[in-house]
Amino acid sequence: MSLAKPMMRGLLAKRLRFHLPIAFGLSFVAAIAFKYMVTEPRKQAYADFYKQYDSVKEFNAMREAGIFQSVRPSGE
Amino acid sequence: VRTRPGYAAPVASRCYSHGKVETDEEFNARWVTYFSKPDIDGWELRKGMNTLIGYDLVPEPKVLDSALRACRRLNDLASAIRILEAVKDKAGPHKDIYPYLIQELQPTLAELGISTPEELGIDKS
Repeated sequence: MSLAKPMMRGLLAKRLRFHLPIAFGLSFVAAIAFKYMVTEPRKQAYADFYKQYDSVKEFNAMREAGIFQSVRPSGE
Repeated sequence: VRTRPGYAAPVASRCYSHGKVETDEEFNARWVTYFSKPDIDGWELRKGMNTLIGYDLVPEPKVLDSALRACRRLNDLASAIRILEAVKDKAGPHKDIYPYLIQELQPTLAELGISTPEELGIDKS
Protein backbone atom coordinates (compact mmCIF):
# COMPACT_ATOMS: atom_id res chain seq x y z
CA MET A 1 0.00 0.00 0.00
CA SER A 2 1.71 3.17 -1.21
CA LEU A 3 1.68 6.07 1.25
CA ALA A 4 0.22 9.38 0.13
CA LYS A 5 2.33 12.50 0.29
CA PRO A 6 1.69 14.23 3.60
CA MET A 7 1.88 17.95 4.31
CA MET A 8 5.58 18.73 4.76
CA ARG A 9 5.82 22.51 4.73
CA GLY A 10 4.81 25.19 7.16
CA LEU A 11 4.09 22.77 9.98
CA LEU A 12 5.45 25.10 12.66
CA ALA A 13 3.63 28.08 11.15
CA LYS A 14 0.39 26.13 11.27
CA ARG A 15 0.99 25.15 14.89
CA LEU A 16 1.79 28.71 15.90
CA ARG A 17 -1.23 30.13 14.04
CA PHE A 18 -3.32 27.87 16.24
CA HIS A 19 -1.52 28.05 19.57
CA LEU A 20 -0.22 31.62 19.75
CA PRO A 21 -3.65 33.33 19.86
CA ILE A 22 -4.63 30.84 22.57
CA ALA A 23 -1.40 31.53 24.46
CA PHE A 24 -1.87 35.28 24.28
CA GLY A 25 -5.54 34.94 25.12
CA LEU A 26 -4.94 32.76 28.16
CA SER A 27 -2.13 35.05 29.36
CA PHE A 28 -4.42 38.03 29.03
CA VAL A 29 -7.18 36.22 30.93
CA ALA A 30 -4.69 35.25 33.64
CA ALA A 31 -3.60 38.86 33.99
CA ILE A 32 -7.20 40.11 34.18
CA ALA A 33 -8.07 37.42 36.71
CA PHE A 34 -5.06 38.32 38.84
CA LYS A 35 -5.94 42.00 38.71
CA TYR A 36 -9.52 41.50 39.85
CA MET A 37 -8.97 38.66 42.28
CA VAL A 38 -5.73 39.81 43.91
CA THR A 39 -4.63 43.37 43.29
CA GLU A 40 -8.03 45.08 43.46
CA PRO A 41 -9.09 43.34 46.73
CA ARG A 42 -5.66 44.15 48.14
CA LYS A 43 -5.96 47.81 47.21
CA GLN A 44 -9.47 47.87 48.66
CA ALA A 45 -8.24 46.27 51.90
CA TYR A 46 -5.63 49.01 52.28
CA ALA A 47 -8.18 51.70 51.50
CA ASP A 48 -10.64 50.29 54.04
CA PHE A 49 -7.95 50.05 56.69
CA TYR A 50 -6.82 53.63 56.26
CA LYS A 51 -10.30 55.12 55.90
CA GLN A 52 -10.84 54.91 59.69
CA TYR A 53 -7.19 55.08 60.71
CA ASP A 54 -6.38 57.49 63.52
CA SER A 55 -2.67 58.03 63.25
CA VAL A 56 -2.41 60.10 66.45
CA LYS A 57 -4.10 57.37 68.49
CA GLU A 58 -1.79 54.75 67.01
CA PHE A 59 1.21 56.96 67.69
CA ASN A 60 0.26 57.35 71.35
CA ALA A 61 -0.27 53.62 71.75
CA MET A 62 3.22 53.03 70.33
CA ARG A 63 4.63 55.80 72.54
CA GLU A 64 3.18 54.21 75.69
CA ALA A 65 4.65 50.86 74.63
CA GLY A 66 8.07 52.57 74.91
CA ILE A 67 9.35 51.68 71.45
CA PHE A 68 10.46 55.19 70.48
CA GLN A 69 13.78 56.76 71.35
CA SER A 70 12.83 60.32 70.44
CA VAL A 71 9.83 60.50 72.78
CA ARG A 72 9.33 58.57 76.06
CA PRO A 73 6.01 57.27 77.47
CA SER A 74 4.01 60.08 79.10
CA GLY A 75 4.68 58.71 82.57
CA GLU A 76 8.50 59.17 82.54
CA VAL B 1 -5.24 39.38 11.52
CA ARG B 2 -1.69 38.20 12.08
CA THR B 3 1.09 40.21 10.48
CA ARG B 4 2.78 37.16 8.96
CA PRO B 5 1.80 36.22 5.37
CA GLY B 6 -1.18 33.92 5.00
CA TYR B 7 0.41 31.51 2.49
CA ALA B 8 2.37 28.55 3.85
CA ALA B 9 4.85 28.27 0.98
CA PRO B 10 7.63 30.84 1.28
CA VAL B 11 10.66 29.64 3.17
CA ALA B 12 13.19 32.23 2.03
CA SER B 13 13.28 33.85 5.42
CA ARG B 14 13.00 37.47 4.41
CA CYS B 15 9.54 38.96 4.84
CA TYR B 16 9.46 41.66 2.18
CA SER B 17 6.02 42.73 1.06
CA HIS B 18 7.19 43.48 -2.46
CA GLY B 19 9.43 41.27 -4.55
CA LYS B 20 8.92 37.82 -5.95
CA VAL B 21 8.14 34.98 -3.56
CA GLU B 22 9.94 31.77 -4.41
CA THR B 23 7.65 28.85 -5.23
CA ASP B 24 8.07 25.44 -3.62
CA GLU B 25 9.36 24.03 -6.89
CA GLU B 26 11.95 26.79 -7.28
CA PHE B 27 13.05 26.18 -3.71
CA ASN B 28 13.39 22.43 -4.29
CA ALA B 29 15.24 22.94 -7.55
CA ARG B 30 17.68 25.34 -5.90
CA TRP B 31 18.53 22.81 -3.21
CA VAL B 32 18.77 19.86 -5.59
CA THR B 33 21.24 21.92 -7.62
CA TYR B 34 23.18 22.83 -4.47
CA PHE B 35 23.73 19.21 -3.49
CA SER B 36 24.34 18.11 -7.09
CA LYS B 37 27.61 19.99 -7.33
CA PRO B 38 30.01 17.29 -8.53
CA ASP B 39 32.92 18.47 -6.39
CA ILE B 40 30.90 19.47 -3.33
CA ASP B 41 33.01 19.31 -0.19
CA GLY B 42 32.21 18.18 3.32
CA TRP B 43 31.77 21.69 4.62
CA GLU B 44 29.28 22.58 1.90
CA LEU B 45 27.35 19.39 2.58
CA ARG B 46 27.13 20.11 6.30
CA LYS B 47 26.36 23.79 5.74
CA GLY B 48 23.66 22.93 3.24
CA MET B 49 22.05 20.38 5.51
CA ASN B 50 22.16 22.63 8.57
CA THR B 51 20.61 25.49 6.63
CA LEU B 52 17.96 23.21 5.17
CA ILE B 53 17.10 21.78 8.58
CA GLY B 54 16.66 25.32 9.90
CA TYR B 55 13.66 25.94 7.65
CA ASP B 56 10.04 25.36 8.63
CA LEU B 57 9.63 22.34 6.37
CA VAL B 58 10.67 18.72 5.97
CA PRO B 59 12.82 18.46 2.84
CA GLU B 60 11.29 16.84 -0.22
CA PRO B 61 12.47 13.38 -1.26
CA LYS B 62 14.19 14.75 -4.35
CA VAL B 63 16.23 17.20 -2.26
CA LEU B 64 17.20 14.42 0.15
CA ASP B 65 18.09 12.18 -2.78
CA SER B 66 20.48 14.84 -4.03
CA ALA B 67 21.99 15.23 -0.56
CA LEU B 68 22.43 11.46 -0.14
CA ARG B 69 24.19 11.26 -3.51
CA ALA B 70 26.49 14.05 -2.35
CA CYS B 71 27.28 11.91 0.72
CA ARG B 72 28.09 9.04 -1.66
CA ARG B 73 30.50 11.24 -3.62
CA LEU B 74 32.15 12.19 -0.34
CA ASN B 75 32.25 8.57 0.89
CA ASP B 76 30.33 9.78 3.94
CA LEU B 77 27.92 7.05 5.02
CA ALA B 78 27.67 8.51 8.52
CA SER B 79 26.25 11.77 7.20
CA ALA B 80 23.84 9.90 4.96
CA ILE B 81 22.35 8.06 7.91
CA ARG B 82 22.41 11.23 9.98
CA ILE B 83 20.36 12.97 7.30
CA LEU B 84 17.69 10.31 7.72
CA GLU B 85 17.70 10.79 11.49
CA ALA B 86 17.48 14.55 11.03
CA VAL B 87 14.45 14.51 8.78
CA LYS B 88 12.68 12.10 11.08
CA ASP B 89 13.27 14.54 13.90
CA LYS B 90 12.16 17.49 11.74
CA ALA B 91 8.79 15.85 11.24
CA GLY B 92 8.21 16.16 14.98
CA PRO B 93 4.80 14.86 16.02
CA HIS B 94 3.74 14.21 12.41
CA LYS B 95 4.46 10.50 12.26
CA ASP B 96 3.26 10.03 8.70
CA ILE B 97 6.08 12.02 7.12
CA TYR B 98 9.12 9.81 7.78
CA PRO B 99 7.57 6.56 6.48
CA TYR B 100 6.57 8.43 3.34
CA LEU B 101 10.12 9.73 2.87
CA ILE B 102 11.63 6.27 3.34
CA GLN B 103 9.13 4.89 0.84
CA GLU B 104 10.11 7.51 -1.72
CA LEU B 105 13.84 7.13 -1.04
CA GLN B 106 13.85 3.32 -1.05
CA PRO B 107 15.34 3.02 -4.58
CA THR B 108 18.09 5.52 -3.73
CA LEU B 109 18.86 3.85 -0.40
CA ALA B 110 19.11 0.48 -2.13
CA GLU B 111 21.27 1.82 -4.96
CA LEU B 112 23.68 3.62 -2.64
CA GLY B 113 23.68 0.92 0.02
CA ILE B 114 22.46 3.20 2.81
CA SER B 115 20.88 1.51 5.82
CA THR B 116 18.16 3.32 7.71
CA PRO B 117 18.60 4.01 11.44
CA GLU B 118 15.79 1.51 12.04
CA GLU B 119 17.61 -1.24 10.14
CA LEU B 120 20.72 -0.54 12.21
CA GLY B 121 18.77 -0.50 15.46
CA ILE B 122 20.07 2.93 16.38
CA ASP B 123 16.69 4.63 16.34
CA LYS B 124 15.92 3.51 19.89
CA SER B 125 17.93 5.24 22.61
